[in-house]
Amino acid sequence: MEDQTPQDPAPFGQQPFGQSPFGGAPTPQPKNWLVESILVTLFCCLPFGIAGIVNAANVNSKYAMGDYAGAQAASAAAGKWTKIGFFCGIGVGILYILFFVVLGMGGALLNR
Amino acid sequence: MKLKYILGLIIAVVLSVVYYKFNPEVYHFFPECPFHKFLHLDCPGCGSQRALNALLHLNIAKAVDHNLLLVLSIPLLLAQLSVKVYSYFTAQTIILNFWHKPVTPKIIFALVILFWIARNIPVKPFNYLAA
Repeated sequence: MEDQTPQDPAPFGQQPFGQSPFGGAPTPQPKNWLVESILVTLFCCLPFGIAGIVNAANVNSKYAMGDYAGAQAASAAAGKWTKIGFFCGIGVGILYILFFVVLGMGGALLNR
Repeated sequence: MKLKYILGLIIAVVLSVVYYKFNPEVYHFFPECPFHKFLHLDCPGCGSQRALNALLHLNIAKAVDHNLLLVLSIPLLLAQLSVKVYSYFTAQTIILNFWHKPVTPKIIFALVILFWIARNIPVKPFNYLAA
């Protein structure tokens, strides 16, 4: 919450400098990776999914406060942690399968 | 249909068949959580594979016994999946608002951490949560 924003907060009721100057369509919320982090938390075991959930919380609350740059940064961080968790999970799975294939082939060779 | 959706569908079907046919409690070729292997503690995801097997056999009580958090998250994940599928086929963009509320990830974070702590307490009411 205490992260520095580059500009001072605009007075109440006034558009912050440089953002949607014509009061048109608001900036869409960046992807918050919440669903993906929940899946990583449940299925990839390693606690990287929780880092993803924390950053998803940052995306939502910064966006709600109007800090679009901060929300964008939190979105990038959430994506990074979710992907790290996902690929670690996949990696562990593949290592396990390889381990069993090697064991199985070794056993087959020994029993010949 | 896009290639990644076809691949995802194939992977989902193959994994469902594997987790339906082979119970991870019986067959030991399923990967073990590194957190559990080295620390001998349950993480929030421990028991998910056994819970998945129980869910595919429609045994919800057994799934709850292995991983309560997984079972609780199923309705939310199914809601998100159906919205995505509906958006894809009707070419509309529908979003579920609650994913974007500032309070939602905070509640989920608190639940995950509480679940993680509680399932490692080896005392009567809490050890039901263990994987």
